[in-house]
Amino acid sequence: MDKILEKKSLTNWLKKLTGYDVYAPVLKDDLWNYEIISDGDNLELDYLNTVQAPKKFIFPQVENLLDFGSSDEGTPEITETLPQPNPTVILGVRPCDGKAVILQDLVFGGEFTDPYYWNRRNATYLVGLTCNTPPSPNCFCTSVDGSPHSQEGLDILLTDLGTKYFVEALTDKGRKLVSAGQALFKAPTAKDKKDLEQVKTGSEKKIKRQIKNLKKVPPKLKDMFDSPLWDEEAMSCLRCGICTFLCPTCHCFDISDEVTSSLPLKGHRIRTWDTCQFPDFTMHSSGHNPRPDKASRLRQRMLHKFQYFVEIHKKYQCTGCGRCVSLCPVGIDIIEVLDKVRDYG
Amino acid sequence: MAENVYIPKLAKIIEIKDEVEGARAIRTFRTQFLEDGFTHDCGQCAMLSIFGKGESMISISSSPLEKDYLQFSILKSGRVTSSIHALQEGDILGVRGPYGNSFPIKKWKGKNLIFIGGGIGLAPIWSVLQTALKHKENYGKLSLFYGARTSKDIVYKEDLEEIRKDIAVHLSIDQEEPDWNEFVGFVPVNVLDKKPSPKDAIAITCGPPIMIKFVITNLEALGFKDDQIYTTVENKMKCGIGKCGRCNIGNHYVCKDGPVYSWAELKKLPQEY
Amino acid sequence: MVNLDELKKEAKRVLEDGKVKYVIGYVKSKASNMAAPAFVTDPEEIENLIWDPTCVQNLTKFIVDEKKRKAQQKKPDTRPVAVVSKGCDSRAINVLLQEKYIERDDVFILGVACEDLGVIDEKKLAQKLKGKRFGELTFDDKKNVVATTTDGTVKVPVKEVLAERCVECQANTPLIYDVFLGEEDRRKPDAPFASVEKMESLSNKERGAFWQEQLSKCVRCYACRSTCPMCYCDECVVDTINFAVTPDTTAQEKALRIKWIERASTKSENFGYHLVRAIHLVGRCIDCGECERVCPLDIPIRFLNKKLEKTAKELFDYEPGMDTEKPALVASFKDEDPEEFIR
Repeated sequence: MDKILEKKSLTNWLKKLTGYDVYAPVLKDDLWNYEIISDGDNLELDYLNTVQAPKKFIFPQVENLLDFGSSDEGTPEITETLPQPNPTVILGVRPCDGKAVILQDLVFGGEFTDPYYWNRRNATYLVGLTCNTPPSPNCFCTSVDGSPHSQEGLDILLTDLGTKYFVEALTDKGRKLVSAGQALFKAPTAKDKKDLEQVKTGSEKKIKRQIKNLKKVPPKLKDMFDSPLWDEEAMSCLRCGICTFLCPTCHCFDISDEVTSSLPLKGHRIRTWDTCQFPDFTMHSSGHNPRPDKASRLRQRMLHKFQYFVEIHKKYQCTGCGRCVSLCPVGIDIIEVLDKVRDYG
Repeated sequence: MAENVYIPKLAKIIEIKDEVEGARAIRTFRTQFLEDGFTHDCGQCAMLSIFGKGESMISISSSPLEKDYLQFSILKSGRVTSSIHALQEGDILGVRGPYGNSFPIKKWKGKNLIFIGGGIGLAPIWSVLQTALKHKENYGKLSLFYGARTSKDIVYKEDLEEIRKDIAVHLSIDQEEPDWNEFVGFVPVNVLDKKPSPKDAIAITCGPPIMIKFVITNLEALGFKDDQIYTTVENKMKCGIGKCGRCNIGNHYVCKDGPVYSWAELKKLPQEY
Repeated sequence: MVNLDELKKEAKRVLEDGKVKYVIGYVKSKASNMAAPAFVTDPEEIENLIWDPTCVQNLTKFIVDEKKRKAQQKKPDTRPVAVVSKGCDSRAINVLLQEKYIERDDVFILGVACEDLGVIDEKKLAQKLKGKRFGELTFDDKKNVVATTTDGTVKVPVKEVLAERCVECQANTPLIYDVFLGEEDRRKPDAPFASVEKMESLSNKERGAFWQEQLSKCVRCYACRSTCPMCYCDECVVDTINFAVTPDTTAQEKALRIKWIERASTKSENFGYHLVRAIHLVGRCIDCGECERVCPLDIPIRFLNKKLEKTAKELFDYEPGMDTEKPALVASFKDEDPEEFIR
């Protein structure tokens, strides 16, 4: 369903979305982050991408899995704590971050469905925005089967056409949001459609960074497990979690028990983000660590995203958002590493 | 709504047996579910929970044919396993699972099964051994090689004496002891010494990584093919369902796609365990 | 001004002589406008080294790394590593020497003077450019940063976009070195604690609110800890497992390890983490400010360390990393030490 929404009507549309929590990118202390908004006034949608991806709404950094306690006789008692979130609209999702949600779906679905994830996922409405100008100098979505106007994972895709948005409602959820403000939306004219195509084509050309022939990388990685390249690339790695915590597709987590009272026993079993870049991630209780150094951990990040995930799900586990590139304190650049892999040997 | 995969079922400890004393103590626990439980296959694992301490993935050492209880033999190693060791009969813990693949015992009909274990590594293969013993008519000759550091480190002592009546049991300890009349030396050496025939045989081995490595080398020397050798792998685990991302070796999550591997399969995966 | 050719010549010389294992320096990064650390073993590649106000990282961190790497190797190459070191970075080397974490022979120091400049703060530059997106940065000989923006090139004096740590810098010239490059122009700032004093002027309530908000942003990626050359402990209170585990560590020792700080990035745990870290850096933090620069959420962590630096200066007249002959602050006691703060 294609529609046109005048920019000046955006606020009115958001006001019609009663019963939803609406989040949009807000600039605070020089950083863009999703904040809850009461209306669309002062909304700035020509924003650089947010530091944190919308993944935190669906797969939050801390999730309570269950509460535990004990009866008077000391028998453990468990209470399931599945989240029941309000319907939540995330406005202005970049297409790379929308696509990342599809990749997360693959992980949290499958044989063992993750109810915490899906309760949040089903309550989340993703309203995307075409990147007419790349929101980061390190955007490389077009190299990983994406595009600045990709619709994957989004319920609605907005495209800025100057004074108005071209609105593509892509799913039932998206159409539901549009129909909440039905009167505000018009049918697009032939010119609108032509403008849309032009903007979309133009947006792709503005993506500067590229990995050429990425197809060659996954098969190549298979034979590079023991390559000295990983040692070289990991020399400057600080072993922090920036690249993975801020990645929209990284899903690794830890489960731990937090005791709030020891007698009687009370507490929570929580799941928190974890990362393959921390040394304790894989360390056995014996002290043995199958990934003992920075090189093996950097290799795991690359191989997981560009070999293992491809072998399991037939997709790259990367959407080219560029966060890990821009935010790495020592300039480790996934694009450069993959270029080297492709040309190796 | 499907069952929540992260919620453990409660189970009562009905029996505890001390296997090994000391700093690296091993105890065997038999548990019974308070309500509906689950059934498992040989080689599968379960996530045991001590609320307030955490979870630990432990292999189920009882046979699936044993309907009355699940058995776990646990080496005291860290926070969770130490708390399990502190439990007493009648205490309740959490169990979720079963997780992982299993030994392909259906394919082993008519084969000679050679079990090779070291230390606590007898536990994962015990469920297959027990199953095979209950249906001896389905298999050829059964035999067991088992070794430990000292005679005090041997687990399932009484059971071993019991099964000795039925099958060949080759025990070993690492160093001489006054009253020890059996083999002295490492498990792989004992295997080489007894020379089991690879003909129509399957070898199932589990133990410390270094032992597995040399057992496989020696089995190969005896003429065993890669697909005649089976072993289990362990890695640090948290979720048990292939999502938390830490137990992978290559594109396999050991919790979900393992822990059982033929040497033919394991050889193809990177050495990350 | 540091003569870059001179720096390259010295670096190449020690490498070619086989005197050092490798040279740690700065190169241009494709990923960011700031420099990237480089580890050069091939004398030919010395040519890629740069020296300009984008050289932000404290490379002393990698001397710590090298020590840890050597500990894992069976037959390590025991030659020193050469490192390009700014004034602040050299103070960090001093602390490592003072704490006997490294030996003087472990490192060959290529000291570079910052003179009247220092490193730039990308965020200050972004503010100057008022939202214009900028690409490559170069520097002209009039001490301007030249930014390529969507509206052409813009010149901004480096002094106007200097990182706060450089504005308040106490050591613009390396204190310890094997080769020295640039002008020896030791100057002290007029107001070394100006930013902290500004913070101190707020009421308790305002400060409380400030930190509540700032620390609630923390995602516990531990980049601040990871980049810090002083955070070299093998075991940290926030880690989930004891790294000092050996085959001899008993189950009981592991089980009894206290979880001081939970994994959840809740406010209380984030406070726990940052305050424990700050306390462990008293008398050790040399204000390279990297913890704050690397923070992806822009938490002003430097304030915490700066406040403690100021306290140590006021109470004990102690300045970390300035004098290796002096005993370390927390490892020494004098009868006349003030005790009012012990309550």
